[in-house]
Amino acid sequence: MKSIRAIGRMVIIGIIIVIIVIAGVVGYYLTLPTGPTVKDTLVMGTTDSVETNLDPAHAYDYFGWEIIRSLGAGLVDYEPGATGPSDIIADLATDWSVSSDGLNWTFTLRQGVKYDDGTEFNATHVKYSFDRNIQMADPNGAFLGLGFADIIRDIIVVDTYTVRFDLSIPFGPFLSLIAGQECVMVDPKYATMHGSSWNATDAVYYTEGDPRASNPMGLGPYTLANWTRVAGKDTTMKLVANPNYWGASAGIPKTKNIIIQFYADSSTLALAIQGGEIDVAFRQLTVTDIKTMQSNTNLQVWQGTGAFIQYLCLQERYAPFNETNIRKAVGAAINRTLIVSTVFQGQAQNLYTMIPIGMSGHKDVFQNLGDPNYTRTQELLAVYGFNATNKFTFTLWYETSGHYPQSLQQATVLKASMEASGVITVNLQSLEWAAMGSARNAGTMEAFIYGWYPDYIDPDDYIQPFLQTSGGTWLNLNYSNLEMDQLIEWARGNTTDSVRNTLYEQIQDLMVTDSPIIPIYQGSAYAVTSLKVKGVYLDITQNWRHWLVYIEQ
Amino acid sequence: MKKPVRKRSSFSNQLLKIGSLSKRGLAGWLIIVGAILVIAIIVMTAVSPWIRPYDPIAINVGPILAPPSYQHLFGTNDLGQDVFSRVLSGGGVMLQVSLLSVIVCLAIGVPLGLFASYAGGVPDRVVGLVMDSLYAFPGLVLAIAIASTLGRGVINMALSIAVVYIPSYFRVIRSQVLSIKETSYIEAADAIGARNRTILSRYVLPNIVPSIVVVATVNFADAILTAAGLTFIGLGVPVTVPDWGLDLTSGRRLLTSGAWWVIGYPGLMIILLALGFTLMGEGLSELLNPRLEQ
Amino acid sequence: MILILLTMVFLLIRVLPGDPVMLHFEKNANPVAVEQMRHQLGLDKPLWQQYFDYLLGIFRGDLGLSMQDYSSVGQQIFSAFPATLELAIYSMIIAASLGIFLGVQASKAYNRPQDHVIRIFGIVTYAIPVFFLGMVLQLTLGIGLHWLPVGQRFNPTIGIPQSPWYVDLNTPFSTALIPSLFKITSVHLSTGLYTFDSLLEGNIFKFVESLRYLCLPSLTLGLVLSGVFIRLTRSNMFETLRLDFVTAARARGLRETRVTYGYALRNAFLPVLTMVGLQFAALLGGAVLTETTFSWPGLGRYIVDRINFRDYTAIQGAVIVFGLFVSIVSLAVDLLYAYLDPRIRL
Repeated sequence: MKSIRAIGRMVIIGIIIVIIVIAGVVGYYLTLPTGPTVKDTLVMGTTDSVETNLDPAHAYDYFGWEIIRSLGAGLVDYEPGATGPSDIIADLATDWSVSSDGLNWTFTLRQGVKYDDGTEFNATHVKYSFDRNIQMADPNGAFLGLGFADIIRDIIVVDTYTVRFDLSIPFGPFLSLIAGQECVMVDPKYATMHGSSWNATDAVYYTEGDPRASNPMGLGPYTLANWTRVAGKDTTMKLVANPNYWGASAGIPKTKNIIIQFYADSSTLALAIQGGEIDVAFRQLTVTDIKTMQSNTNLQVWQGTGAFIQYLCLQERYAPFNETNIRKAVGAAINRTLIVSTVFQGQAQNLYTMIPIGMSGHKDVFQNLGDPNYTRTQELLAVYGFNATNKFTFTLWYETSGHYPQSLQQATVLKASMEASGVITVNLQSLEWAAMGSARNAGTMEAFIYGWYPDYIDPDDYIQPFLQTSGGTWLNLNYSNLEMDQLIEWARGNTTDSVRNTLYEQIQDLMVTDSPIIPIYQGSAYAVTSLKVKGVYLDITQNWRHWLVYIEQ
Repeated sequence: MKKPVRKRSSFSNQLLKIGSLSKRGLAGWLIIVGAILVIAIIVMTAVSPWIRPYDPIAINVGPILAPPSYQHLFGTNDLGQDVFSRVLSGGGVMLQVSLLSVIVCLAIGVPLGLFASYAGGVPDRVVGLVMDSLYAFPGLVLAIAIASTLGRGVINMALSIAVVYIPSYFRVIRSQVLSIKETSYIEAADAIGARNRTILSRYVLPNIVPSIVVVATVNFADAILTAAGLTFIGLGVPVTVPDWGLDLTSGRRLLTSGAWWVIGYPGLMIILLALGFTLMGEGLSELLNPRLEQ
Repeated sequence: MILILLTMVFLLIRVLPGDPVMLHFEKNANPVAVEQMRHQLGLDKPLWQQYFDYLLGIFRGDLGLSMQDYSSVGQQIFSAFPATLELAIYSMIIAASLGIFLGVQASKAYNRPQDHVIRIFGIVTYAIPVFFLGMVLQLTLGIGLHWLPVGQRFNPTIGIPQSPWYVDLNTPFSTALIPSLFKITSVHLSTGLYTFDSLLEGNIFKFVESLRYLCLPSLTLGLVLSGVFIRLTRSNMFETLRLDFVTAARARGLRETRVTYGYALRNAFLPVLTMVGLQFAALLGGAVLTETTFSWPGLGRYIVDRINFRDYTAIQGAVIVFGLFVSIVSLAVDLLYAYLDPRIRL
């Protein structure tokens, strides 16, 4: 009797379980989101995120600028595929001219461009945007960092559609500066100015649930429809085509909706693009992943000019690197090819000067120093009594927060390369990014590896912050050469390209003579997309032009 | 007066029993296997400079990310380093860190526990309160905070692990001391005027040694796992030292390319080392604190 | 107790090398601006004053502003906490059920091969570094077999689960009640636990999706923690199974499973319950590594990120929340224990 009841009970339980499972499966398929791939939506994945906020006065990070440039428009822009200042094209300014003394730049503005409330864009908005940025002088922002206040004396509204910048000094790269992503026009309704001294809360910050209040732009190809952060980390963002955009009639932006997904690390990003969850993966995929994807027939790998460089910094305030010849000896012992092939597996280029390959004025000056040239290293060090039994020893610092790609590997290979000379011993030490910044300011590191992204596309941005006495104070290497300072001044102030190129050649030659910083490599830019994605331009500007990317039907 | 004959404490009695470990059933086997694992790894690390085929930190000794082959038994990693050589030599850091942390714990935790709990009253409560707060707190988070303060290196890692583990010693010692405190022979010793220090060292200490030993073995195992965890977060040792934890961290980026050998073998070694200590701890615990009888 | 913890952490992180203010100044360290920011963040006040300011703020429910991005720490922690809570709950469920089940099996087969195997399993899972296990599972189940997602918390292309109920907090009444901790004007009555919220929303697809994403992380953490439960259940059950009332139940002819689970386990359960409470602290520690491995947006990962940025307020806030969480769980376990054990009456 008991056993029959037991069997009966088991049968009932079994039937109930089956019913639950079927209900679950049915429910699953019923609630499956329909039509996942809408034609006019593109999904992009990245490991970047907005570091601080989307206020051009404050933001100074790669991704922040990328979004700012999609939500706002500047006076000028770069042509897709640009190689330098000659490829600057009209954006909100249709025409421009510079006075003969290089001190006055006049821009003619486009007419009929509207903000979202119907107000027409005019010269007062240009003045407002720049005044706000410069006056706020946000310590985090580019306007203070690049010294806008020292360059621009005043902005004059000549008439409704004409604005003039009066400079305090002639500045050759002025147009490149204005073409920067941070120089977009803001909407005064959302970007307010609170008095003359800076306050941390003046900038426009992320506001939960209100994307319009989270950014002060308004004239770009896109508007911000959604921006979600969880626990202080970006999770998703949505850009929707701006109906008021002046280029709308030409079909810009090409994709109506862009969803940006933020991934915490490159592995999950790699899996997402391989699994077809996203259409575009841009920054940062690991070297091995890119290699794997290059042989993946379902994906296309786009490669373009990089403008990111990394270099070795040497502290001149105290021994041993206060001696020029010791610096040159170390510089001659760097095997760039080894680094590029081992660490980056060919996805970078040897860099023999501070000015990146592909930019005007580039000259491979450090190649003569050594590539590598261990004999020269040994000779130079022998003068100081260093040889195979008494090796020259120093400490090399690198960062561990993932701020630069594969710092650990780079440092390891650099060490191996220098020790291959037989007369050098390198001790590796590491710091987190935060602590490294402090150590840099305190000048306590003998030698360290650092990197650079351009602020504006001009050789000046790769020279002045490093080799000029006043410009290089942030790096705190205590390098100062008055002749170099003079050359840099002239190069900045001159507006003639040929003159500037000659000056930059001299600057680079002088740089090898002094060897304060040794350039190592220049990274290439990579993006991986599905086969149907078109309109990707990876040029020297490093701009990711969201408004040109589309999925072919 | 005749000097009182020192009674053989129960601990040494039990030590004698360990001689016939294999007859002690599973517990005995656990200890034997555990000890073999630990000793084998220590020996392997010690002789590694002589038996490893390549220099573990030399780059490009083989093709990059090559799967296991005859030239490279465990394959190579993304810098072209030989994984087998790195596995042979990579245990040094972990062994040093765990040993150091155990020593620090013993040096600080045991006296602290003894004195605080024997003294009772205010010292006991105060120290107990601090220990309880530390104990209840997620250890790894505390270790991370401390390690970030102190910086990298073997000593600093050991210190941060030690700080997190001292409360465990304290607790165990305290409960033991409290129960022993009330026994009659302690009262007797007190009555005859023995100094506290003598009581503690002669009578109390020998009886709590078994528990301390068990906690110490678990401490070893935990220290190894925490050291690996700290390295994973990025607070480990400088890159010039081959370390299994470091290999795991660096190899994480390579998962999507399918290079399982870069993390597989170092991870296996960490497991074996931690396992060795855990097995010993399990076995010792059962041996010295028998609760279950047939 | 939390106060001690807070004080320790407060002092500890201010000893950390690395100035949070200088972090905001990549290139241009204009000394006036640096001082301004330092003043704004309250870092120029003497240490004891910063301490008391902070304590005062806590009593008002204000955890301060993050030094990295000036948003409310309270809000950030509030959004990160449910992720860790959900992971903790499911990991604990896996650890406890696996541990108890295996422990019971082991106790019934005492000293026979089955028992040995289970004990060894328990020991081995304890010795595996949790992030290594995570990576192995990612590699096999995620990348190799493509069964389960290897990271993040939810499918990016569909919206996160939210309950359909909505509360508008803009009325004068509610703004007075809600402390400045939360600078929000309206809130979805969502728990933040995706599995639960998706059921509230009635969306089975989202429910299954959130479970899929939970699978690997909670399996990892659960496996590692199960060893403790195995050991405890085994020893307690062994003793209980030898007691008279169990023999009596068997003699009355009750089926073995009913005897085991219905009678014996219920009595051996109490120490297990205490263990659940105790393990929560270990769980939170293990969660840090698990969250990092699986890019799980929880409190553990939050604290690791913020240490890198020297974000003092965020770290302090997270520590407080951790401590509070552990205390609350301990208290709940104690109460539950008292309730369940007829021998204890409060």
